[in-house]
Amino acid sequence: MSVALQGRNLDKWFGGLHAIRDISFSIQEGSLIGLIGPNGAGKSTLFNMFTNLYPPDKGTVEFFGTNLAGKTDIEIAELGLIRTFQTARVFAEMTVLENIMAGSHLSVHSNPWAQAFWLPGVRREEAGIRKKAEALLGVLGLERYRDESATNLPMGSQKLLELARAVMAGPRVLLLDEPAAGLNDSETAELARLITAVRYAGTTIVVVEHNMSLIMGIAEHVLVLDAGRLIAEGPPKEIQANEKVIEAYVGRGLDTVLAEAH
Amino acid sequence: MREAIEIALGGILQGSVFALVALGFALVFRVTGAINLAQGAFVVFGALTLYSFQNGFGYGAFHVPPLPLPIAFIASLLVSLLVGLLLGKFIFQPALRKLPLGGMVLLTGGLLTFFEGVMLLVWGSQPYQLQPWSGFAPVNINGIHIPTQGFWDFGVTAIIIVGMWYVLQKTTIGKALRACSENPAAAALMGIDVPRMTVLSFSVAAAIGCVSGMVIGPVVSLEFDGGGFFTSSGFISVAIGGFGSFVGALIGGLSLGTIEQLAAGYVSSLFSTTLALGLLLVVLIWKPTGLLGSGSQRRVDVRDASVHAYREALRLSRKGAIIGGIVALVVLAVLPFFLNTGGILSSIVITGILFFAILGLDILMGYGGQVSLGHAAFLAVGAYSAAIMTTRYGQAPIVGILVGLVVALACATVVSFVTVKLRGHYMALATLAFGLLVDSVAVGATGLSGGPSGIAGIPHFSMFGYTFDTQVANYYLVWGLVVIGVIVLSCLVRSNFGRALRAIRTDQTAARALGINVPRYKLMAFLISAGFASVAGSLYAYYFQFISPEMVSTQRSFEMVTMLVVGGETTLVGPVIGAVILTLLPTVFQPLANFKTLAEGLILVGALLYLPSGIFGGILAAMKKKGDRPVQTPPVQIESTPVREGVVR
Repeated sequence: MSVALQGRNLDKWFGGLHAIRDISFSIQEGSLIGLIGPNGAGKSTLFNMFTNLYPPDKGTVEFFGTNLAGKTDIEIAELGLIRTFQTARVFAEMTVLENIMAGSHLSVHSNPWAQAFWLPGVRREEAGIRKKAEALLGVLGLERYRDESATNLPMGSQKLLELARAVMAGPRVLLLDEPAAGLNDSETAELARLITAVRYAGTTIVVVEHNMSLIMGIAEHVLVLDAGRLIAEGPPKEIQANEKVIEAYVGRGLDTVLAEAH
Repeated sequence: MREAIEIALGGILQGSVFALVALGFALVFRVTGAINLAQGAFVVFGALTLYSFQNGFGYGAFHVPPLPLPIAFIASLLVSLLVGLLLGKFIFQPALRKLPLGGMVLLTGGLLTFFEGVMLLVWGSQPYQLQPWSGFAPVNINGIHIPTQGFWDFGVTAIIIVGMWYVLQKTTIGKALRACSENPAAAALMGIDVPRMTVLSFSVAAAIGCVSGMVIGPVVSLEFDGGGFFTSSGFISVAIGGFGSFVGALIGGLSLGTIEQLAAGYVSSLFSTTLALGLLLVVLIWKPTGLLGSGSQRRVDVRDASVHAYREALRLSRKGAIIGGIVALVVLAVLPFFLNTGGILSSIVITGILFFAILGLDILMGYGGQVSLGHAAFLAVGAYSAAIMTTRYGQAPIVGILVGLVVALACATVVSFVTVKLRGHYMALATLAFGLLVDSVAVGATGLSGGPSGIAGIPHFSMFGYTFDTQVANYYLVWGLVVIGVIVLSCLVRSNFGRALRAIRTDQTAARALGINVPRYKLMAFLISAGFASVAGSLYAYYFQFISPEMVSTQRSFEMVTMLVVGGETTLVGPVIGAVILTLLPTVFQPLANFKTLAEGLILVGALLYLPSGIFGGILAAMKKKGDRPVQTPPVQIESTPVREGVVR
């Protein structure tokens, strides 16, 4: 097992605000990591530093040994680091099936000339993509929306759709930004099922999430941020008992937080 | 020296009108975030209205006697305010809620065309010049002649600017307007009636435009289609000066007028236009916020994504596409046997040529979501390359097409340096500037293009020893190419390429996150659209055996956009409906020809407002609704199923 994602001494300032303070971590290939912390802890900032949306002021992020400094979001995606967004960003004017198929962009080998003449190679490739997309649609239980415009989907289904699209890209590492935000209980269960399935298929996953029961249920390793610092990391059981973590959540017992979240 | 000063003074005079148009731009832009291309039409409208009031007019029993200047001025001002209020209330303001900013540029472009059509009907196509307000004799200062109208001009400009400044900075309404410009949503929450402020800013801008037309009317002659010139000059001024900055608009307008007049006086008017448009392109590349741009730019991206309603994803079913395709092929094959009566068949050939160009435009605008208002420029490149290659160099027609293609792709690559960085209305304006630039080269570079009278004696298209010299032969040539184009492009858009473009259209950030190379795909879409337009332009020249600048002018660009929008964007075949409506109807019903400009504007505005998916899109939506059976919602599974491995790989 090699290291999929490694951060070294990351620092980020926003004006006078020290948002990320000297954070180092390393994420093993094939693991499912939860990233938690109270509001304003710096989770999203750290997340956005992975894809250079916020370039780090200090320190480096390495992706399977490749330094990501100076790379654009497109280049990072090409390396196999695929992310979703906090508010679902589906392609509103495309159908649900087309949305998922659009995720396959990086795995398409045929060029536009071949596509324009619908050559046999393109035909095979398209059929393969369609089959895979329809399989994913089945896993999500979204078949009945297949030819519906994505914008007509309820919010929860849009988040699932976005996740399916990201999975379709065949990522080496998948970054999920609050995937359960806005989902109801049955949708969250669906989500947990999909995330676990993707993980068992060999994809490394990092999840930022407020839904504690989801994180504690699926993650095998949890990173806890507070006020820009990495205050704890370890398996969910340890984290739930960690004094620093409990203190970070406004001094209340994590059990209370858990009870509230569910 | 005396001459230089007089030219410069003329430039400042002209520049003051640009500055007032720019001021109108800036006002509407600051309050609504939209660019109003109809702004320049108000200049002409104001001048022509004043002319009518000064000289009297009547219709049947209704008659208005000639009025003295002050009363005529006030009457014209009231008319222009009224027109501005009506347009603002019933077209501009409702449109803002429905359309993205790129669509607003199209809408106001349609408004400009509509205005020109109305003025053509009311005042005809001849130029008008107003009486100077205080006599013809110029004032002589140290041997420098200054027309008295110049003083009126400076005075009125100064009054308007001071008045605007006072209203915006010192009054409650001004505060409300500024609040709208900072953050419309927050302004609405504070109880400011944002729609009313929008209409107010639009009509005040319209009135300012009209007043500037009234004061400049005695100095320059104006005709119905002069609005485009003032719009583009005003826009260049505002782009130089910085969007939304009133001081910038003033400085931009004055300096543009002066530069243009000096360049025209000492070099040539072609050089002057080229300089101005070139300047605009440089500013757009280098500093899109304007040279004196303020830091308080609106967040275009946010508004662009959130305000307008999304269109439905519509697609013909597989069965429908096959049946429709076969029917279309049969109809196309036999049509000449039934319609071989001169005029109509010729119009069908022209329809086919324009439709071919619009196929490419749909890839750019419909699928790629980029707005081009200068696409006739690529028609021009193809047409003039064909004309010059065959008539001057004696080359075979196919060489003309290929040369046109190469030149068009080269131009498109250069223009895309500007446009890949821009979205929505900036992109629209950059392409508009490119179109005007090509326009002015076609008119001005007489040695190359034959000037306004164009190039005649172009041979018919011929290949492998066969000359397409009859209408029927050209019909099959053109529509054969159209069929090939439709097939190739529909393959392209149903594959990965089409998905990538449509992804970019809806959400660039999400597209990039999936590894879609946004700049590369934008460039490819632009190249495809330029290539199709160029080939269409060559065919156009070969069919007519003649090419002149007005056949490929900016007017034509708007016409193509109208055909596309009316027929239905993102449908490839839909625009044929738009092309048929706008090309065939005026041929079949000759009396309609006079109303063509007006109708084009009206149709574009109407389609944008009430039929956003176009006629073909509307048909598809109706078919979809009819075919939709009520979906049985399967019971939601709540218990967690075991992980199904191997489904996702």
